[in-house]
Amino acid sequence: MTASFPGHDMSRRQLLRLAGAAGLFAGIGLSASACAGPTGLPGEDTLTLALNRSLVSLDNKLNQFDAAVTVQRAVREGLTAIGPEITPIPMLAESFVMLSPTRWKATLRKGVTYSDGRPVEIKDVSTALQMYREVQGSFVAGFFPEFPRITALDERSFYLDSKAPIPILDALMALILITPAADNKPEELQTGVGTGPYTVESFNRGAGTYQLLRNETYWGTAPAVQRVNVRFLPEESSRVIALRSGEVDVIDSISPNSMEQLSGLPGVTIETASSLRMNQIFYNFRKPSSHPLSDVRVREALSFAIDGQALVHDVLIDSVEQAQGVTPASLFGHAKTGDFVYDPAKAKSLLKDLGVSDLKLKIIWETGEFPSDTAIMEALVQMFWDIGVRTELQQFEPGGNILQWRQGKEGDWDLLGNGFSSPTGLAITMLQGMYAGTPEKEKTRDTYQGYVNKAVAAKIGLAAAEVDEAKREVYLKDAQQGAWDTWPCAWAFVPKSILARRNRVQTLSLSAANSYPLSHIGLEA
Amino acid sequence: MSTATHITQAPATSSAPSAVTAKALKASASARRARSAKIKLWAGAILTLLVFLPIVLANFLPLADPNAQNLGARRLPPLSDGYLFGTDQLGRDLLSRILFGGQTSLMIGVLAVVVSGAIGVILGSIAGFYGRWADVLISRVLEAQMSLPLLMMLLLVVALFGPSIPVITGVIAIAQWPEVARLTRSLVLVEREKPYVDAAKTLGLHKISILIKHVIPNVFKQASLVILLLLAQAVLLESALSFLGAGPQRPFATWGRLISDGQDYITTSWWMVTLPGLVIVALVVGVNLLGDALRDGRPRRKNRKEA
Amino acid sequence: MLTYLPKRLGQGLLTVFLTVSVVFLLIRLAPGDPAAAFAGPLATSEELAAVREQFGLDAPIFQQYLIFIGQLFTGNLGTSYSFQAPAMTVVMERLPYTLTLATSSILLAALVAIPLGMWMARRADTGGEVGVNVLTVAGQSMPDFWTGIMLLTAFSVVLPIFPASGFTTWGGLVLPTITVAILQVALISRMVRREMVNNFNSPYLTIARSRGVSERLLTWRYALGNAGIPVFTALGTRFAAMLNGVVVVEVVFGWPGVGSLIVRALETRDYPLIQATVLITALLAVAVQLLIDLAYPLLDPRVRLGKAASV
Repeated sequence: MTASFPGHDMSRRQLLRLAGAAGLFAGIGLSASACAGPTGLPGEDTLTLALNRSLVSLDNKLNQFDAAVTVQRAVREGLTAIGPEITPIPMLAESFVMLSPTRWKATLRKGVTYSDGRPVEIKDVSTALQMYREVQGSFVAGFFPEFPRITALDERSFYLDSKAPIPILDALMALILITPAADNKPEELQTGVGTGPYTVESFNRGAGTYQLLRNETYWGTAPAVQRVNVRFLPEESSRVIALRSGEVDVIDSISPNSMEQLSGLPGVTIETASSLRMNQIFYNFRKPSSHPLSDVRVREALSFAIDGQALVHDVLIDSVEQAQGVTPASLFGHAKTGDFVYDPAKAKSLLKDLGVSDLKLKIIWETGEFPSDTAIMEALVQMFWDIGVRTELQQFEPGGNILQWRQGKEGDWDLLGNGFSSPTGLAITMLQGMYAGTPEKEKTRDTYQGYVNKAVAAKIGLAAAEVDEAKREVYLKDAQQGAWDTWPCAWAFVPKSILARRNRVQTLSLSAANSYPLSHIGLEA
Repeated sequence: MSTATHITQAPATSSAPSAVTAKALKASASARRARSAKIKLWAGAILTLLVFLPIVLANFLPLADPNAQNLGARRLPPLSDGYLFGTDQLGRDLLSRILFGGQTSLMIGVLAVVVSGAIGVILGSIAGFYGRWADVLISRVLEAQMSLPLLMMLLLVVALFGPSIPVITGVIAIAQWPEVARLTRSLVLVEREKPYVDAAKTLGLHKISILIKHVIPNVFKQASLVILLLLAQAVLLESALSFLGAGPQRPFATWGRLISDGQDYITTSWWMVTLPGLVIVALVVGVNLLGDALRDGRPRRKNRKEA
Repeated sequence: MLTYLPKRLGQGLLTVFLTVSVVFLLIRLAPGDPAAAFAGPLATSEELAAVREQFGLDAPIFQQYLIFIGQLFTGNLGTSYSFQAPAMTVVMERLPYTLTLATSSILLAALVAIPLGMWMARRADTGGEVGVNVLTVAGQSMPDFWTGIMLLTAFSVVLPIFPASGFTTWGGLVLPTITVAILQVALISRMVRREMVNNFNSPYLTIARSRGVSERLLTWRYALGNAGIPVFTALGTRFAAMLNGVVVVEVVFGWPGVGSLIVRALETRDYPLIQATVLITALLAVAVQLLIDLAYPLLDPRVRLGKAASV
């Protein structure tokens, strides 16, 4: 019997050894990849941001979500940028002017170098344009009706020529980030240098973290903060807690609930700005003509069912504004065209007069499409119920096949919760994206929810090609009124960009593009 | 000595030589085990019924409509006028949502256990009874499933077929059948060596009818003991799935979704996460205790497999 | 031994192969389009088709599968769509986090569960033990995401001691570890108790006791020692299961491990990334399982004696 005991001693020793080895393994693994600082709180000269999406690169060829802009622009810059007034301001180009409808002239700022000392050259710009054009699935390419050709005049000046007029080229060029031509490739760049106020010191793609260091040779005003840590915290509740405890300094793109939870807390300030985004409860325009929703009067009647003020005030905590047109008021070229009115009795009687009874609507949306999306949808169920319209909700998880649904390939639906933003800051971009559908595009289901209206599309086309600003404004207003009168959505609202910061973060100016220049920020000791 | 005194003294005198007193008996291991099983049985039954009864009777209780919104009464704390458990972000009665949500969760749980039980018993007994390739095949599938990233596979399957109640039930059943199958297989392995199986064979009964008529009924009772434990797991799994977004469509409440919705409000409205969670815990603890007690209460073979 | 290892290894690899094959098929059958997730909502049908072609998704599934099998042999599973980097690299960057969380959780679980189980076994069915026993039942009955949120509320909001999310300091390890360990402690301690109680009741222990072996020796060497194998197996199996990613806990705590990676990969229908994650985690799980099996001869005296006789 005792003969078996050594075996047991052995087993315990073995266990300990195994456990020790496992611990060691994990330890090594981590020290190799984690960037653990000694304390949880950011240092005196370090700013910590927590983004809700993982920043997989500092390039924007493939994707660009709002918060990424802040960080991307801290490292790479474009010829222009969208300024605080939603108008283009010069960056790497000291001037950017239209000479004729199809020709622009730009002059590079003198003496600007990348953070590694190389000068910025014209061929960097032409290579950048080429790479953005070649990359598949580009986020940026969609906004360019065509990519301009570059002709150098001298060391610093060049023409940008296009076949058709691109009156908004100065705004569009803000989307093109400039990288040394030798390093640029038709893909999302993972590394490399830029001209921005910060350089990348280290990053961990797996964890989505970036450590930025001040660029001591920056051409503009040197940033006040030496270091910026960018973290990725996907859960909104985690970001709120991290800001409360001072673990992070800034969280952006937060929901109205989080704003409500954070406002009034000592040490925390909420910043809001208007946004370039429009969130809508859009009708399905692929219904057969016999369907009630094909009748503009029915669409209008249904909109009376929605208590916009209650949604704005109670569900969205006054963090949004009810839309007063088909574009957000913050966009350049926006025109006010009407209001959404809550009048359930009128909705009922209108539907009755139109002979619509027993209407059943299916509402679809993707989780996270806009803040408090599920709460809004659940509230809509109740509001439609109150006018005798039954509804069914179908929520799609990210990565699901909502695209096939939206295109009408998977199943039928009536209302879609969807957001649309105009990163150029221009109303025309949004109008073209949503209301300029043509029968040809509809063949491949490439129109916005089947919206094809010849008259509206013609008006938009007129506005897009007009070089004269006063005339363009008139055409734009006309186009927006035309779109509004077709009652494309049951309700729409313009969210605010909301950001929360610790009070030690000074001089943060949130723009309507939901980004802020990192170089302007100062930290209170 | 009179017979009378002998009789009256009998308990005392007879206990003295064996040194076993009633007190010692009461403190003996088996008596203690029986007592703790009884405690667990009662505690389990009470907890289970405490959650189960209101859920089943929810339609007859004076409750607010679980989907009726009152935007003026959003996020009221518990015990505020008329709302025992408070209200949620749209002013809906949380208690009512928990109870009606519980109906969905419980229904899915019960159905999943029935389905997984059926699959598990059938495949497990085939593997145990026939052995050879059937055993190899089924055991291999069992093993493969153990090494799969289970939750991810379940999320995938839900994405594949859409988050409807039958799909979620099926998915949970897929997750659970190996447990039943393994247990059944080991029970059948023992059972098939018993003389009555040989006797039946000698009598010329077909293998299938021996399996169905004799072997399965004999192991069924033991295999069925895991049902309660499986039910507890199924409820947990369902809540995890709907927490991750793979739950039945809105606006119907499920427990996991109540918690995931409430997560956004934890710094201000603690009840929206805490209370649904406590109800899940109460039910699952109750069911687990019941299952434990029933199993411990069995005289033998209690040390086979456990979850 | 010489035939055992290759056979076991072969079985393990077969399991991994079947697993990745099933996943390969499932993700392609599931609705959702990687190109749509990649190119965004504004992409035209033409652009989507181009992206699909670039990803090699326009080929028939069988052809894609053959390419995938070829990739398995080279160990290069292609480029992750959402990270725009080799999928294997992305997984490897995340793996240390999951390994850390799994290791710290299993260590904590073992450190708490084994003494707790011993205590429960020695006090089996006394008043206090029944109470603790019920607590362990509660431990295995709490949904882990709920436990996590509760701990988060208590120790990051009410008493801000630990960071809420992510892993930038060692303090960030505490709450996720506890959340994962609670369930493991409950399961393992109950198992230790059960095994030891059975050993206490077994004839050899009665004989040893009648020979005058001290209670201490009885508890430690006889009862616990013989419970070692099943408990070790259970710890190993639990550890292997955690390598598949403690999905829910990682999501709650924003833990940058493979569990939260797979949720994200699913959301973007990032096929190469899903495949790489499943391959790595399945390989690891099978390897750990194999190590446990190989450790048996070292742990079980009977297997050891048999081996000693043959040497």
